[in-house]
Amino acid sequence: MESIVFWGFNLYAWITILTVLSMFTVLLFTKLRADLVFLGAISILFVTGVLTAKEAFSGFSSTSVVIIGVLFVVVAGLTYTGVLQWIVKHLLGQPSSYSKAVVRLMLPVAALSSFLSNTTVVALFVGIVKMWSKKLNVSPSKLLIPLSYASGMGGVCTLIGTPPNLIISGLYAEKTGVAMNVLATTIPGLFCLFIGMLSIIAMRKLLPYRQAPESAFESTSEYTVELLVPSDNPHVGETVEEAGLMNVRGGNLIEVIHFDEMVSPALSDELVMGGDRLIYSGQIDEILDLKESHGLVNADHMVFTMSEVDKNRQLRTAYVNFGSSLINKKMSGTSFEKDNNMILVAVARRGKRINEPPREVLLQAGDTLLLECPPHLNIQASGSFSQVHFFDSDQVPNIGKKTLISTTIMIAMVTLSALNIIPLLQCAFLAAMAMLIFKCCNVDQAMKSINWEILMVFAGSVVLGVAIQKTGIAERLAFGILDVCGTNPIVVMTAICLVGTFITEFISNTAAGAMFFPIMYEAAEKLGYEPYPFLIALMVSVSSSFATPIGSPTHMLVYGPGGYRFSDFMRIGLLMNFIILAANIFIVNIIYPLTPLNP
Amino acid sequence: MNIDIKEQNGTYIATLSGWLDTNEATQFLEDIKPLEDNIEKSIIIDCKELEYVCSLALRGLLKLRKQSAANGGSLVLKNVTGEVQKILTLTGFIKLFDII
Repeated sequence: MESIVFWGFNLYAWITILTVLSMFTVLLFTKLRADLVFLGAISILFVTGVLTAKEAFSGFSSTSVVIIGVLFVVVAGLTYTGVLQWIVKHLLGQPSSYSKAVVRLMLPVAALSSFLSNTTVVALFVGIVKMWSKKLNVSPSKLLIPLSYASGMGGVCTLIGTPPNLIISGLYAEKTGVAMNVLATTIPGLFCLFIGMLSIIAMRKLLPYRQAPESAFESTSEYTVELLVPSDNPHVGETVEEAGLMNVRGGNLIEVIHFDEMVSPALSDELVMGGDRLIYSGQIDEILDLKESHGLVNADHMVFTMSEVDKNRQLRTAYVNFGSSLINKKMSGTSFEKDNNMILVAVARRGKRINEPPREVLLQAGDTLLLECPPHLNIQASGSFSQVHFFDSDQVPNIGKKTLISTTIMIAMVTLSALNIIPLLQCAFLAAMAMLIFKCCNVDQAMKSINWEILMVFAGSVVLGVAIQKTGIAERLAFGILDVCGTNPIVVMTAICLVGTFITEFISNTAAGAMFFPIMYEAAEKLGYEPYPFLIALMVSVSSSFATPIGSPTHMLVYGPGGYRFSDFMRIGLLMNFIILAANIFIVNIIYPLTPLNP
Repeated sequence: MNIDIKEQNGTYIATLSGWLDTNEATQFLEDIKPLEDNIEKSIIIDCKELEYVCSLALRGLLKLRKQSAANGGSLVLKNVTGEVQKILTLTGFIKLFDII
C-alpha cells in the first residue's frame, strides 16, 4: 500500500489525513467525549496498519504523558494544603487603578500557572476575582479575561506549566536524546507575559462591560423561582389571592402551571391545586421563604406530602460548562437533579432573568444556575463536576505547616529538575510520593485528582503525532510550507506558529503541539537549522489561544462568570494572537539564536 | 363528554360521562348552569362513566360546591374511580368534596 501514491501521499498517509480531519470534525460538531474520539482515531490507524502495535500504544508509555499524570498528584497536594488560597490572600490587595489591578492579578496567576495546572488556578481565582472586582468597583468581565490569559501565558513559562510544553519537549527528547531544561521557555514566556499585560492594559476598552451574572440573584425581578404545591397543602382550593400567594414579599406570581395547562400571566382568582407549579419572579431568598410560610416545596419532582420538604439545604451558584451534556436540554428532561441531589431554582443568561420556568429553560453553555444543594456537597465526587462549575468552592483547606511543606516539595522538584540533578520524570514521582508521605493529600484525593480523560487525550495526541510523522505527512507539509514561505527561517517559523496559534483555537493545545511538532521539526531540518528554537516558538504559539472561549479550558471557566459572549473573546483575542506571535518570534530569536545544523 | 341532569325527589343528579378535557370544559361550565340556579338544593355529581377531568372543570365544580355550601345546599361526588380519582388526589381536591 505504501507504493500507491496520490498527490504525493501514499495510502497510509491519506488514511491518517482522513482520520485526523474526521476526528477534529467530530470533536467540533458533536459532544462525544474527547478521549473516546482519540481512542477511535488510534484504533482506525492501528487496524488499517498505519501504526504498529508498539506505535499505537506509544502514547500511553510516553514519558511526558506519565509526567502529566504524576503532576496531577503533586498539584493535588498543593491544592489541598491551601497554597493557592494563601497566595491569593496575600497578593491581590487593593490597587488604585485598573492598570495596577491587571498587574496585581496577572503576575501571581501566571507565576502559579507556570507550576500548576492552569485550570486549577483559574478555577480558584474566578470566585476571588469576582469578589475583588466588586471591591474595586470594576466589572468582573474586565478582569476575568485577563485572568484566563495570564494563566495561559504563565503556563508557557516552564515545561511543566502546560501539557503541550511537556509533549513537545518529550518528543524532542525522544528524537534527539537531549532533554530540554524545565526552564527552557521561561524567558520567552515571561517576555510574552509582559507584552500581554501591557497589551491588555492598552486595549482595555476592547474588554466588554458585562453585568456579573449572579448579581442578578442579588437584585429583584431578575430571576424566576419555581415552587410546587403539595397535594395536602392547606391552601388547596383557595384562590392565589386568598392564599396570599399572588403578591408576596420579594416578588410576584407570574405563572401557574396546573397538571394539564399553564396559566400565564397568573390571575388573582386562579385556584390553588395540589401539584401546581407556581413560577415567581423576584428576590430568590425571600420567595423561597414561601416554603416555610405557605408549605410550598421545590419543584424537583412530583411531591405530594409535606414530609418531603428539606429545610437543611443551601443555595449554590454554578455555570453550565462547555461540553456539558446539559446543553440544549431542559433540566426537567434530565436526571441531573436526581443524580446529584440538587434542585434547580433559578436560571440566568448573561446577567438577565430568563422568563420561563427554570426547569423548562433550554440550557446553554455559560448559563448561571442557582441550585439548592445538600449542606455538605462534595463537588468532585458528585457527577455534577463535569456538567457545571460551581462559583463558590466548598473545599476549605487548612493553611498551616503543610502549606509550607507542599510548597517546599514543589520548589525542590522544579529546582532539582532545572539544575539537571534529577530528571523531571523522577522528580515528579518523588514529589508526588512526598506529597502523600507528608499527608499533603491522601491517597483518595490523589487518585481522584488524576484526570484520566485528559491523560487519554494527551496519549492520543502523541500517537497521532507519530502517525503524521511516520506517513511522511509532516515532511510533505514542511516542504509545502518551505515552497510558500521560501527559505528564510524566521518567515517559516512565523508561518508555522501563525497556523499553530489559529488551529489551537479550535483543538486542544496539546493536540496542536503533538501535530505541529513533526512539521516544525522537519521544516527546521530541511532549512538546515537546529530545531530547538523553532520548537520553543511552537510551545508558546500553541498555548496562545486567545480568540475563542473554546480555545482553552480556562476561557470556558471564566465565560459564564464573566457573562461573556463568544465575540467578546474574538474582539481582544485576535489582536492578542498577533501581538503574542510577534513577541514570541522576536524573543525566541534573541534568546535562542538560530544555529545551522552541523553537516 | 356528556352531561345528563335529572331531578329526583328534590335532588339534582348530574351524570357525567366521557373525557372532560380543556376543550370540553367551557361547554361543561355552560351545561352546569341549571345546577347553579338550584344551588340551595341537594346536588349529586355521578362520575361513574367520567374518564378524565381537566383543571378548568375542577375549578367549576369547586365553585359550585362553595356556592352550594353558602346557600344551605349540598354537593357530593358519586362513583369517583380510576383517572378521575387520581386527579382529585393529586390536586388535593379529594378533601374538598364529599364523596359517596
